Amino acid sequence: MLADVLRFLILAAIALAVLGVGLRSRRWRVGRAASVDVLAGILALPRRYMVDLHEVVSRHRFSAVMHPMAAGGFIASTVLVVIVHGLRFDAAWLAWPLLVLLAVMAMGAVLAGVRRWSNKPPRLSGGAFNLLPFALLAFAAGFFAATLEAVGLFALSESIWWLQAIVATFAAWGCLELIVGMAAGPMKHAACGALHLAFHPRPGRFASNTADCALEPLDLEAAKLGAETPADFAWNRLLGFDACVECGLCKEVCPAFAAGLPLNPKKLIQVLATALGEGEATYRSTLRPLPPATGGPDRPLVGRDALIHPDTLWACTTCRACVHECPMMIEHVDAVIELRRFQALELGAVPGKGADALEELRTTDNAAGASPESRLDWAADLDLPVLEDGGSCDVLLWLGEGAFDLRNQRTLRAVVKLLGRAGVDFAVLGAAERDCGDLARRLGDEATFRDLARLNIETLAKRRFERIVTADPHVLNCLGNDYPALGGTYTVVSHVALLAGLLESGALTTAPREAGKVTYHDPCYLGRYNGEIEAPRILIRAIGAEPVEMERWGLNSHCCGGGGGAALTDVVGQRRIPDMRMDQARTAGADIVAVACPTCAVMLEGVVRPRPEVADVAELLLGAVEGA
Amino acid sequence: MANYDALLQPIQLKNLTIRNRIMSTSHAPAYAEDGMPKERYQLYHEEKAKGGIGLTLIGGSSPVSADCPATFGQLDASTDRIVPYFQEFAERIHKHGAHIICQITHTGRRTHWSGGDWLPPISSSPVREPQHRSFPKAMEDWDFPRVIGDFGQAARRCKDGGMDGVEIIYGAHHLVDQFWSPSINRRTDKYGGSLENRMRFGFEVLEEIRKQVGDDYVVGIRMSGDEMIDDGLNPEDCLEIAKAHARSGLIDYLNIFHSNASTHMSLTPIMPNMAYPVAPFLYLASGVKAEVDIPVIHAGRITDIATAARAVEDGHVDMVGMTRAHMADPHLVKKLMEGRGEDIRECVGANYCIDRIYMGAPALCLHNPATGREATMPHIVPKAEKGGRKIVVVGAGPAGLEAARVSAERGHRVVLFEAAERTGGQINLAAKATWREGLAGIVRWLDAQVGKLGVEVRLNTEASADMVKAENPEIVVVATGGRPNKGRFKGDALAVGSWDILSSKVAPGDSVLMYDDNGQHQGPSCAEFMAKRGAKVELVTPDRMTAEEMGCTNFAVHLRELHTLDVIMTPDLRLKEVYAEGNRMVAVLRNEYNNAEEERVIDQVVAEHGTLPADDLYFALKPDSINLGELDIRAFIDGRPQEISNNPGGKFMLFRIGDAVASRNVHAAIFDGLRLCKEF
Repeated sequence: MLADVLRFLILAAIALAVLGVGLRSRRWRVGRAASVDVLAGILALPRRYMVDLHEVVSRHRFSAVMHPMAAGGFIASTVLVVIVHGLRFDAAWLAWPLLVLLAVMAMGAVLAGVRRWSNKPPRLSGGAFNLLPFALLAFAAGFFAATLEAVGLFALSESIWWLQAIVATFAAWGCLELIVGMAAGPMKHAACGALHLAFHPRPGRFASNTADCALEPLDLEAAKLGAETPADFAWNRLLGFDACVECGLCKEVCPAFAAGLPLNPKKLIQVLATALGEGEATYRSTLRPLPPATGGPDRPLVGRDALIHPDTLWACTTCRACVHECPMMIEHVDAVIELRRFQALELGAVPGKGADALEELRTTDNAAGASPESRLDWAADLDLPVLEDGGSCDVLLWLGEGAFDLRNQRTLRAVVKLLGRAGVDFAVLGAAERDCGDLARRLGDEATFRDLARLNIETLAKRRFERIVTADPHVLNCLGNDYPALGGTYTVVSHVALLAGLLESGALTTAPREAGKVTYHDPCYLGRYNGEIEAPRILIRAIGAEPVEMERWGLNSHCCGGGGGAALTDVVGQRRIPDMRMDQARTAGADIVAVACPTCAVMLEGVVRPRPEVADVAELLLGAVEGA
Repeated sequence: MANYDALLQPIQLKNLTIRNRIMSTSHAPAYAEDGMPKERYQLYHEEKAKGGIGLTLIGGSSPVSADCPATFGQLDASTDRIVPYFQEFAERIHKHGAHIICQITHTGRRTHWSGGDWLPPISSSPVREPQHRSFPKAMEDWDFPRVIGDFGQAARRCKDGGMDGVEIIYGAHHLVDQFWSPSINRRTDKYGGSLENRMRFGFEVLEEIRKQVGDDYVVGIRMSGDEMIDDGLNPEDCLEIAKAHARSGLIDYLNIFHSNASTHMSLTPIMPNMAYPVAPFLYLASGVKAEVDIPVIHAGRITDIATAARAVEDGHVDMVGMTRAHMADPHLVKKLMEGRGEDIRECVGANYCIDRIYMGAPALCLHNPATGREATMPHIVPKAEKGGRKIVVVGAGPAGLEAARVSAERGHRVVLFEAAERTGGQINLAAKATWREGLAGIVRWLDAQVGKLGVEVRLNTEASADMVKAENPEIVVVATGGRPNKGRFKGDALAVGSWDILSSKVAPGDSVLMYDDNGQHQGPSCAEFMAKRGAKVELVTPDRMTAEEMGCTNFAVHLRELHTLDVIMTPDLRLKEVYAEGNRMVAVLRNEYNNAEEERVIDQVVAEHGTLPADDLYFALKPDSINLGELDIRAFIDGRPQEISNNPGGKFMLFRIGDAVASRNVHAAIFDGLRLCKEF
């Protein structure tokens, strides 16, 4: 009798789960088509789950233990439960491992329960999630008791009826919550998560050493540009939103959220997920509570009375800290850009000075609105070789927007002097250089980006060079990662990587000197986007400084607040992001904050004194090289 | 910091790309040795090139001929001997990315017949030059080809020497504008009469220069936009001349200045001191700029970046001369580029630089003692190899502030005691005197630097020997300054000191005898201060004249003010005695030359006699010091550390600087501080 009940439970639960997920998939299938290699995705799933996902989860010691025990135990034991109880293949050699797996799962469940019920980190969602440990325990306990018979320890089927009834109830609770619940409720993260992993919109990010962060080119001929409603996202993006496990890690690392800007990436993803259903959604911006707004796949997402306040959208610095941290591999920044594209291209609703900058980009080819000839003004005395049509050189030095800004002209002067000293065969484009388009693209103005990219690619095609070197990580990322999809494929190197190479080869030598405590601020577009963590630190050690690290560095670095056009859209928060970053530098006891990005330099130098000095790594290196 | 992009835009002068719009105009700092620009001269300009200047002009009024001998250490452009020096000089400047142009001239009557080879000065007409008190010969036919040829040869020397261009000064009443100006030119031949005739000689000079240097070489002229005299060239005349030259195709830029220099008072606005507002004559250059299509440059008390940026950005001029501004801070452009505009040591317009030249000494900056001393004094104080020494400085006047600044730059821990409620010492008093308020800028910069460098400043704290020792210092610098000194005469107790007047502690009487036994600014300043408040003042001095210890651009302003305020100036009298008579007092004055005595009945006698050292603390600390206060003067001069140790029980090195040693001036005080403390 009990065996029949259990058999029914497990098989019915699985059937209901399949049916339920099938029904749920209608929510995502309203989305646009996406090209997905289904078979390859399914085949890659185990590895993506056990290697790539585990790498993210394991960054947190507790989760690294709890989640593999609970989830791994649950998945493996469910397989055996199906065999042992569903198919009645109850050999002892199968039952023993099942018992062990259920025990492991139970321990995982206890760990999860203790965390949730003793001292729940505020980032975690409560509600139904708080009951999940009990369901896990019930499932494990129920099937554990029922499996003892197969190994001859305790014949439950012969025991008193109410004991059997309790076991059956536990098993039923577990099956309902954990298996049937995959279609809705907390366990949807497992089903959606698995499918999202398999059909991920960025398969390139798996089994790779570098982030996959090139933005998808927008079809500018499409009837609608960017995402206005949930249905305007690709279906596997919607699947990703639905996979959110509400762990809140994204919120914890988000610089905008920390500074009290109206952006909470966890809630942003949640609202995108809940908006897939009809009716009133629960999302509220942290700082600006919205009137109850109505969701739905065909309703506009962004607006003053809609689910997402425009300020939320423009508060994002595109730093990718959330993406880096998300265990469900959700692509928050892509979602932001997709929404911005509609705002920028269909509504012309880029706020603040963002609109002015775009206007300048469209009319003058640079955001500063400067005359193209003035790009070399700062170098009138440096005899910069200009690469003309048909010319060739080894290194093409891409100057970027820093060439129009007093602060970053100093960095560029240092880079130029270092290249000269090292005997590098380099040249610049001079007036032929245009803004790379990064700013326009991140502000959602794909059309302006494409114009700039096309013109730059045409210019570059007429010149021969081995590699492009730039002191601007936004240029590095744009030319290196965004241009290939448009037909421009180049070797693009950051100035710090080049300089570290020149030091290593002996082309540059330094006289290490007392330089105080130097902390290096990893620019998002150099570190998280392009994986360059070590080269700048090699340079800092070479100048004789005492390196100190801030609380957040490397891939976990904290944004300066200037990325993605955020310095221009300038959404107001409770604090300024650069002020918070500078506090971290102060806490580290730094005398100097070394940067390797013109945006970071300007943002951090904007922090009021007293504060550590801000200098580009190239400036520091030049001092040490000139002393040698 | 505001956006000063306009200043940092390059500019094209013919074949030259000048890296920014900031320049130093030609002047003669009197560093030439034997008429040649040797190391001192070159280092002085090289510092500006290092500091980021776009263009530096050298060789103010470098004579091209034997009959216009240098009056004070100008370069001698009349000999080929100068070419190798030019070459070395040009290389030094180009190395740092800057450009260099030399000015040449024939000064005509603006010299003295007793200089050089004892030749009579020449001019358009035999009209006396008031400032040099010379009587010239009118040029005759054979003088013209000779002088024109000399100009051509001097220009060629500039080109041969690697100078990037040559500037000819057609202003300040040098020879060419002695032809232009109807106030001097009385000729009736083809060089006199109409403006065209009066310009003829200058054009002949330019044509010869072009012949010598070719068309692809920068040639500019410096000329006045308004002679500012009744019978001279007015702005309309000057504009006509400027347009004619711009049209001629012979020149590549116009450097517009103002006034003429034939008298002390007409020379003064050319280097306007702190009595003038900033950029007082920019309008003249702006007027020319509106009418010509070649670059226009201008200098004239443009001391701050904001004014300079406005001049360029608003299109008044193409380049800005910041000449004295660079004497105060040759790293001005670099600081601007580094976003450290607040670190620029601004020229305060004290004109100590130029006035030293008029007193026969090389130029020095009142508050930057490294200028003109580049071989031995650093503009950027380097960190000491071993920092962290505890240094106590007592007194936050110019000497103490500089000592604290330099010590902190060296990387030491500095405590600065000041008895008053604010830093600045006697400068605060000096700045009270009417047009001298600009002096406060000296304190403002030093104070900001000291604060930025983390010096612990203890105001309202009169340091005792015990307080100093409680700090356990390694080095103590006593810069306690001076106490006012009225000098010694019978009845001196009845007299008031100048400090009491300037600090408003004592109100000026109705009729005052201001007795100046100093010769520097104090006496005239105090007299003007009182006269402005309604006192009837007689300024008496035993010197041969009022403000004897002062050069032209300052004494001229003092004299202008004193005359305007109806102050009676009486030289050659020494104050012998003061006694009371009823409610008033009688001052007995004795003539320095014939000993005749005369008396004044007045309400108040104010006496200025410099200061006496405030040295109590120094003598109290002396017995506990390692060196017993002794300064190794040789080491002090040669730039070596002080190492005297003649008291085994001593606990710290002790030094005394500034007026705490003897009554001198701001420069002496700051120089003491730099010279001593850079070795710590």
